[in-house]
Amino acid sequence: MLTKDEVYSKVTDCLVEALGVDEDEVSPESTLTGDLGAESIDFLDIVFRLEKSFSIKIPRGGLFPENILSNPEFVKDGRVTEKGLQELRDKMPHLDIDKFANEPNVNNFADLFTVDMLVNYVSTKLN
Amino acid sequence: MSSSKGVFEDKVVLVTGASRGIGKAVAIAFAREGACVAINYRSNKDAAQETASLVEQAGGKALLVQADVSVRSDCEKLVDQVVEKWETIHVLVNNAGVTRDGLLMGLDENDWDTVLKTNLEGTVFLSKAVLPHMMMQKYGRIVNISSVSAGNGRRGQGSYSSSKGAVEAFTRVLALEVAPKNITVNAIAPGMIETDMSDLVRGLANKQILAQIPVSRYGKPEDVADSVLFLASDKADYITGQVIRVDGGITLGIGI
Repeated sequence: MLTKDEVYSKVTDCLVEALGVDEDEVSPESTLTGDLGAESIDFLDIVFRLEKSFSIKIPRGGLFPENILSNPEFVKDGRVTEKGLQELRDKMPHLDIDKFANEPNVNNFADLFTVDMLVNYVSTKLN
Repeated sequence: MSSSKGVFEDKVVLVTGASRGIGKAVAIAFAREGACVAINYRSNKDAAQETASLVEQAGGKALLVQADVSVRSDCEKLVDQVVEKWETIHVLVNNAGVTRDGLLMGLDENDWDTVLKTNLEGTVFLSKAVLPHMMMQKYGRIVNISSVSAGNGRRGQGSYSSSKGAVEAFTRVLALEVAPKNITVNAIAPGMIETDMSDLVRGLANKQILAQIPVSRYGKPEDVADSVLFLASDKADYITGQVIRVDGGITLGIGI
């Protein structure tokens, strides 16, 4: 069984490969989009690399949400509704939705996707 | 076999519908440049085996893979088999295509489905299946075989023209999506090429058709293959989302 440090190291390798960033740019708090410059296609790339690196299967929409923030039922005036927050809690238990709920502006949503979040997600999968 | 190193040495190329016509010429052309060529066919195994022999004679490595690209699960299995043999895929040529011509008012719904599923969905789902491998290696070249019918239809080609028009639209969108991963997606739109597919129409209207081709001859499958190889080569690294017409100028004039 891998330690958390070992998982972190392999996750970092995946991010270096997928995003073309230097290893020293990656820290546990780095946000994938804001700090590491990930675009939409990169999220798929990260998923493929994590699957291969850890020999796990990540269901479509399992790590990064699909069809939630584009659903008018869940987003109104640029803010995620209560129903949307509940949907995120149900579907994305690895995200810190309580923190996001303080200011549920869709523009802040990307900040939830950090390196640490990936490490926790993979660790849970491995267990 | 050439003694110098081929342009596609160590590259794995998957060509769909490679048992005859344009696909066969494309497979052989890649083989001349040293590629490992996966030859996909649907039903004509004997013809596919002949392509495989020619590929090996030309200096390439050949793998025969039966799959019906109109069946989504076949697309995944096809890619899996190539990857199992050669670990990855560098170039995908979506060539497999069919026609079921007929006027719309007499349209057989099954024919419509066959054409759209083969020509369009085959291209879409095979691309989807190869992309993870291309993305992981940060290199990929997809060349879709469209047709001049995408832009200049003939009566009775509702399904074929629609499928090819959609392939060109898909080519542009996919090119946008995957460009950051060093994957290019382009299309070739052949005109009247000497293949079994165009045999009937060439037989019915030989003189009228030739009169509309400025270079005064039909295209050969090799004419198309040369352009496919160009788009798949490093010389075309900066080209993506484009459609190149290989048609002897047939779409330039107004047909009078």
